[in-house]
Amino acid sequence: MIFELSNKGNPSFSNIHPLLAGLLQAAAMDPWERYREGSARLLPSPGGDEELLLDWQELVQPELRHHFDLERSLVAEDLAEMHEVHEVKQKKGEGWSLEIPMDHADAWLTTLNALRLALVEEHGFTEGDLSRNDAPDFSSERGLALMQVNFYAFVQECLLQTMESTEGEESDGGDGKEA
Amino acid sequence: MSQPGLLDSPEVSLSESLDLPWLVVVHNDPVNLMSYVTMVFRRVFGWNRERAKKHMMEVHRQGRSIVWSGGREQAEHYVQQLHSFLLLATMEKSS
Repeated sequence: MIFELSNKGNPSFSNIHPLLAGLLQAAAMDPWERYREGSARLLPSPGGDEELLLDWQELVQPELRHHFDLERSLVAEDLAEMHEVHEVKQKKGEGWSLEIPMDHADAWLTTLNALRLALVEEHGFTEGDLSRNDAPDFSSERGLALMQVNFYAFVQECLLQTMESTEGEESDGGDGKEA
Repeated sequence: MSQPGLLDSPEVSLSESLDLPWLVVVHNDPVNLMSYVTMVFRRVFGWNRERAKKHMMEVHRQGRSIVWSGGREQAEHYVQQLHSFLLLATMEKSS
């Protein structure tokens, strides 16, 4: 798989193996539907008092859920444009290609992160599991899930590097006192 | 010599003072990439790279970092924003 910036300056993946293309397509999956237990991690408690928690559950969490749904719909839009290249003569060779508009990068980061968190929670992966460098285990659902978690992390890193290289330094800001 | 304790009066219990600020705390989650957490801090608080990385490393090494303190409403706003990026964030009263 090749990662580079397109002519339009967008993060672009090419020569994507069909297995990885399938994992990318799965990024449009609703984690609340697919990972019932794991998705509990996606709407954590804000702490504070009981009154805050009740308000949070009633008002804030539905908003957050809606926000995640919107982000996922942008990812689905981009995935609908993912296409397979069959002509070997092209510089990029065979495989699937995907271009992510730069203004969708946040949506991709959030959506992939949600799936990673849900998958880890669902399968009970430990920090040790996440840091292992073993070859992927295709023989089990758990092995495939771990591969999915790591692959999405790779895509996130590519996007973050692109964003980092295009953003300049910002001055200190923010309201309130620093703790 | 002790004096009649003004502080003994329940009306002036300091621990329940409404003037104490709220703290926004980010907690460690090993799934979140360090580069991602740094980006979120820059995005939410407008920090430069160095300051964002400092707080990210605090989360990573110490398990949590206090990223802001102030009024309740603003604290709720920041926690919601951090949750929108899927960070583990809570708010607590400063002691």
